[in-house]
Amino acid sequence: MYRAIGFLCILAGCAGWGHSLAGQERERVRHLRALSRMLSRMRSEISYGKHTMPEICLLLAESSDGCYSICFGSIYGRTAGEGSADFPKVWEEEMEKCLEPLPLREDERRTMMELAKSLCFREEIGQAGRVGQAEEFLEGRYRQAEETFENRSKMIHSVSILTGLLLAILLL
Amino acid sequence: MAMRAEEILCLFPEESRDRWQEVAKRAKRLQEIRLRAGMPISILVDNREYFVDMPGRIVDMPEKAAKPSPEELEGMLGHLCRYSIYAFADEIRQGFLTVRGGHRVGLAGQVILDGEGRIKNMKYIRYLNIRIAHQIRGAADGLMPRLFEEGRVMSTLLISPPGGGKTTMLRDIIRQVSDGTVYGRGVNVSVVDERSEIAGSYLGVAQNDVGIRTDVLDGCPKVEGMMRLIRSMAPQVLAVDEIGSLADAQALQMAGGCGCKLLATIHGGSMEEVRQKNYMRYMIEQRLFERYVMLDRRQGVCRIAGIYDGEGKPCTGR
Repeated sequence: MYRAIGFLCILAGCAGWGHSLAGQERERVRHLRALSRMLSRMRSEISYGKHTMPEICLLLAESSDGCYSICFGSIYGRTAGEGSADFPKVWEEEMEKCLEPLPLREDERRTMMELAKSLCFREEIGQAGRVGQAEEFLEGRYRQAEETFENRSKMIHSVSILTGLLLAILLL
Repeated sequence: MAMRAEEILCLFPEESRDRWQEVAKRAKRLQEIRLRAGMPISILVDNREYFVDMPGRIVDMPEKAAKPSPEELEGMLGHLCRYSIYAFADEIRQGFLTVRGGHRVGLAGQVILDGEGRIKNMKYIRYLNIRIAHQIRGAADGLMPRLFEEGRVMSTLLISPPGGGKTTMLRDIIRQVSDGTVYGRGVNVSVVDERSEIAGSYLGVAQNDVGIRTDVLDGCPKVEGMMRLIRSMAPQVLAVDEIGSLADAQALQMAGGCGCKLLATIHGGSMEEVRQKNYMRYMIEQRLFERYVMLDRRQGVCRIAGIYDGEGKPCTGR
C-alpha cells in the first residue's frame, strides 16, 4: 500500500516538474509574442502617429497588461512630467526591472533593454526602421520558439514521466 | 521654487541642471539663453548680457564662461524633443521648437535640402537660442476700451517695429476678447498661430493663456489656416500674427467677408511707413480694419503711440 502511494507521489512529482518546465517554455513564447506586438505598435505610432517616445509608452501602458503596463507606465511617468529624466537611461532601468523575472534569453532581454539607446533618428522612417529591426529579431525568436514548443513540450513531459518511473523503480 | 524657475531647469538634461540653478533664480527677468558649440554660454537679463561659468555662476567676462561641446548640444536637443527628434522634424525644418511653458528654442546648424532645393531637415545643430516666454496679463488693459463699440470688438491691426510688443499685445487682446470684459461679452476666437508665438503651443496645448473660448491652429500657414478655421470652427473673431503679403491681406478680406472680426499685427515704424506697402494700402482701401494701433517700446515698456480709424486717420476720444 505504502509502496503504491510512494510510487504515485514520485511519478506525480516528476510529472509536475516536467509540466513546470514546459510551462516556462510556454511563457517564453507568450512574452516573445507580447514584446513583438508591442514593438509593432511602437513602430506604427512612430510612423503614422508621430508621437514622442514617452507618449508611445503611455499608449503601450494603456493597451498592455501585467508587468508591461507597469513598466511602460513608469517610463512615461518618469520621462514625460516636469523635470523629466533621461529617456534611454529610464527605459533601460525599467526594462531591466520588468524583464528580469521573465523566462527570456539574455540576448532577447538585451534587445529590449538597449533599444532606446539607438533611437535618436531625425526622421520617423529611420526611427521606425530601428524599432522594426528589434521587432524582426523578437518575431523570429517567437516563430522559432512556437515551432519547437510543441515538440519540446511533448519531450519534456515524456522525459519527466520516464524519470519518475526510473526513480520509483530505483527507490522502491 | 517658483514655477517659472522649474520650467527653466526642465529645459536642460537632468545631469546638467545643477549648473542652471543660478540662472533659473532669475527666471522672471531672464530673456534669452544662448548656447553655441565651443563658445561662451551667454544669457540676457533685463537687456544686459551675462555669461555662465562651469559651476553655474553668472559672470561678466566671456573668458570665464563655460563652453558647451557639440555633444552637449545634441544631448540638449534630444532632451528638448523628448528623445523623439523625428516627432519635431517639421519644427526643426522651420528652425525653432516650442517647448513646455511656451518658450521658443531657435536652432541653427547645417541645413539638409531635398532634390528641389527645399529645406528637408537640419543636422549638426550647434547653435541654440532659448527665448523665455513672458506672458504679460493686462498688457492690453489700456487699449481694450478703444477696441469695442456697442459691446462688439472692432477689427484691429496692431503696428510696431520688431520687438515692439505686438505679439504680447495681441495675445492679451485675444485673451480678454475670448474671456469677456466689461466692454463686451466673451466670444469664440480662432487663432492661426503659424510660428507658435501667440499661444506657444507645446504638443498641441496652448502654453500661454489665450482665453477660454479660443481655438488655436498651430504651425499652419496663415492663408490656408484662416479659411480652414472659418469652415471648421465658426469663429466670431479671427486672429493672426505678422501679415506680410498681399495673399495674407486677401485671405483676411475673405475672412472679414464671412462676418468675422479680425485681429492682426504687422511690422512697421509708423503709419506713413506701412502705407508704402501694397498689401497695407489694399487693406485700407478695402476697409478691412476699423482700428489701427501704433505701438512702440520705450525703456523696455510697450506703449500705445497712436490709434487710427478705418481710413487711417488719427482717432480722438474713445
